[in-house]
Amino acid sequence: MAKILIIDDDETVRIVYRTYLARAGHTVDSAKDGVEGLDKTAAFAPDLILVDINMPRLSGFEVVKQLKEDPSTKDIPVFIITSLKQEHHVKRAAAMGAAGYITKPTRAPELAAIINKALKLPDQPRA
Amino acid sequence: MLEHLTGAPLFYDYLGWAVLLLAAFNAAQIIYLLWNKARVERAERRKDALRRLTVTAVMTSPTPADLLAPPAGEEEYEACSEAIAGILENFEGEIAERALGLLERFGVSGHYRAMARGGRWYRRANAVDMLSVFRLEENRGSLLELFKKERVASVRYRILRALSLIARGHDDITTLACLLSELPYLTPKYTEDLFYNAVTALKAKGREEEFGLFMRRIMRDDRVLTLVKRDCLTACRAAACEKAGELFRDYYAAYPEEPEILAACVKALARKGDFSLLPDALRHPHWLVRLAALKNAHLCREGPAGEIAALLSDHNYHIRLNAALALARSGERGRAALRAAAASGDRFASDSASYALEQETA
Repeated sequence: MAKILIIDDDETVRIVYRTYLARAGHTVDSAKDGVEGLDKTAAFAPDLILVDINMPRLSGFEVVKQLKEDPSTKDIPVFIITSLKQEHHVKRAAAMGAAGYITKPTRAPELAAIINKALKLPDQPRA
Repeated sequence: MLEHLTGAPLFYDYLGWAVLLLAAFNAAQIIYLLWNKARVERAERRKDALRRLTVTAVMTSPTPADLLAPPAGEEEYEACSEAIAGILENFEGEIAERALGLLERFGVSGHYRAMARGGRWYRRANAVDMLSVFRLEENRGSLLELFKKERVASVRYRILRALSLIARGHDDITTLACLLSELPYLTPKYTEDLFYNAVTALKAKGREEEFGLFMRRIMRDDRVLTLVKRDCLTACRAAACEKAGELFRDYYAAYPEEPEILAACVKALARKGDFSLLPDALRHPHWLVRLAALKNAHLCREGPAGEIAALLSDHNYHIRLNAALALARSGERGRAALRAAAASGDRFASDSASYALEQETA
């Protein structure tokens, strides 16, 4: 299965995604802000990244920008998961090269399906 | 006097004791502050651990209450409710249902309802905030009762916000709109947020038409302030109500003397891709309506460039400037009109057109 990195300042979100995706067979790591997220990207070498927008130290947009500018990380699909629903945020994320924009509240099985589709993995039975 | 004091035989003894006492008091104060800091940090760590435990229980068991001890003290209630609130804000489906099951089993909602009737206003405000996150219909009655009794304005604002999140039909929103008039002051953002919450709550339940029913009901209701009606229209636009097009046109026709309502309708329709009101709005005597039309004219591919160009000579500065900016954004036809205006003898039109052309070049 895949290696997934979750970057979100909300610990509840990190625990839920971590537990759910680990149960689906993925190897999951998490970071509590953008700076830690970039460090962990280098160390963990994830296949896919889920990132929130509003975070301390470095915003999700800035994380996407830096990942896409780095030749070693530019091909990693980055999904933005946020409660911001305004169209201009969606457009900005797409312009920066985010693979998708998912708005909260999310359904964990749907998120798992999106991840599987992005990584071309077969859908798992619901955990 | 001072010499008499310092000349006293035990003066320096007393002074020494006073200094020692002060030093002891300061040391005690520092020790207390350090102890209190450690106590607060320990409590926070304990709360974090409890919160983590609650989220993990929700994720690992279909009946998380079986894995956890029921909350006994305030700290445990806080940890449990914050964990559940975090889950409800970020997730829906099975995970959210499990969290709600835990909420019910541990009587967390009842605990905060009781707290909301307490004596200290800030505790009541916290309790109402927590109840608003839970979004439980069963709390509506107690929230309405609380609103009647509550005298502190900041708690009353919070209660209405909580009520907006649990709207389930047009009666609930009508009640909300009427209660708004009891508040000491309203800001457009607050009112719009309330109705946005109500629309999204209805949409989530597949009952968007209830908001349309409410809007039709208050169209001629004098109890609801005109500005509140305007904010309802704005909320409708922000929440992307699909069937509101007819409603916006009806409001536009019903309030020919209310520029705030007319501007909100023009803006909302234009954002839906309906430009039928634009020509009329561009000729409206009130500048706010003309301005709303101009600010959205660029969205229309075949914009009324002739009518916009006529507004370059408007008596209102904002209208002239926005007419020029609208023309600059409406393709070659608009830019040609701007160049003609810039070269004309009308100084007002020329200034606005030159500014827009400069902005475009920059």
